[in-house]
Amino acid sequence: MIGLYQPGTSLLHRTPAGVKVLVFAALTLAIALTAGGVWTLPAAGCLTAALYLLAGLGIRPLLRQLCAARWIVLVMLVTQVIFLPVLVALTNTGRVLIVIVLAALITLTTRIPALLDATERALAPFRRFGVNPAAIGLLLALTITAIPVIGGFATAIREAQRARGAPVRLQTFVVPLLVMSLKHSDELADALTARGIE
Amino acid sequence: MGNRATTDIRDITRIAVFAAILAVLGIPAAIPVFGGAVPITAQTLGVMLAGAILGSWRGAAAVAVFEVLVLVGLPLLSGGRGGIAVFAGPSVGYLIGWIVGAFVIGVIARAGNRPPTWWRTMLGCFVGGIVIVYAIGIPFQSLITGLPLAKTALFSAVFVPGDIVKVVVATIVTLALWRAYPRAFDRGARAAVDLRVAPHEPVVQAERAAAPE
Repeated sequence: MIGLYQPGTSLLHRTPAGVKVLVFAALTLAIALTAGGVWTLPAAGCLTAALYLLAGLGIRPLLRQLCAARWIVLVMLVTQVIFLPVLVALTNTGRVLIVIVLAALITLTTRIPALLDATERALAPFRRFGVNPAAIGLLLALTITAIPVIGGFATAIREAQRARGAPVRLQTFVVPLLVMSLKHSDELADALTARGIE
Repeated sequence: MGNRATTDIRDITRIAVFAAILAVLGIPAAIPVFGGAVPITAQTLGVMLAGAILGSWRGAAAVAVFEVLVLVGLPLLSGGRGGIAVFAGPSVGYLIGWIVGAFVIGVIARAGNRPPTWWRTMLGCFVGGIVIVYAIGIPFQSLITGLPLAKTALFSAVFVPGDIVKVVVATIVTLALWRAYPRAFDRGARAAVDLRVAPHEPVVQAERAAAPE
């Protein structure tokens, strides 16, 4: 599976994940609160572009992120232009676009394990509500390893149905997928229990 | 209702595997519906199934685990989307609604850990999978995009017919799974106890027969 991370050694790559998320949250709040100002969006746009350059990513990933957001932009523009003044619609769309592209920068410059660790740390205060951080770590790791397995089941079911010339219908696909997956889950549990993890 | 204090390894693997199913349902063209005539994001169907099959808190946990993996940057949402950007965009409310919705579906469809019935499952999927998801999703969308609430709701209504199809499909699949593999609906803790105290299968059946409707 291909993550979205782009390797690098820039300041942004070296900054801890938690710090990046907090700075992003602060920037988002600032943009939201001052969105009415004339200079807010141009300034935020320039800042975002500068951060992409600072991260050593260059213009190409920035364009790719803008391109990835094209449906959100299109839907937002169309729905807003109907009910709101054009300038307001453009401001709203621009604000959402900048925040999305800015958020993507965190994902582009942070390795998945670092973000997983940060997530686990962020959940630590919930320990008093019965959330066990170790169990969550196991859960996330199990899920990541299970995705290719379940994907394999899906492929096997489709190929078997194609081989029989059976029409591929929803029920004949999802039900076997669920049965195989949930059996796999029970086998996984037995294997973990046998290794002393309960 | 599931006792959340006793987290069993069987619960953990069920949650992990269902989160993985949600990811697989996001792969393009994984599920052709009605010959591909109805465009469907199968992941919403997965959310309904998570609640209806795993029950309230395990179903919600499966959706939450899936979303954490999306948050940290795996491109698992349909269309290969992922990362923090998804949670900074207008659809964040729907993603939160998925977690709450799966819980509500479990509460309604699996109340008292009873076997699934078609009307209970359908009601649960409708309330949890449509009413709750939109009730949380639309205000967030309105807040983020700056479009007034009523107008946002008007545009979101476009997706309701597709969601109603998903409720029907989720109900059919849930009841088919109940016939094909009833163990899928067992509460994890009880299944684990059965494993230790043989003979287990007759005990489950006896319990099921004795359970008050």
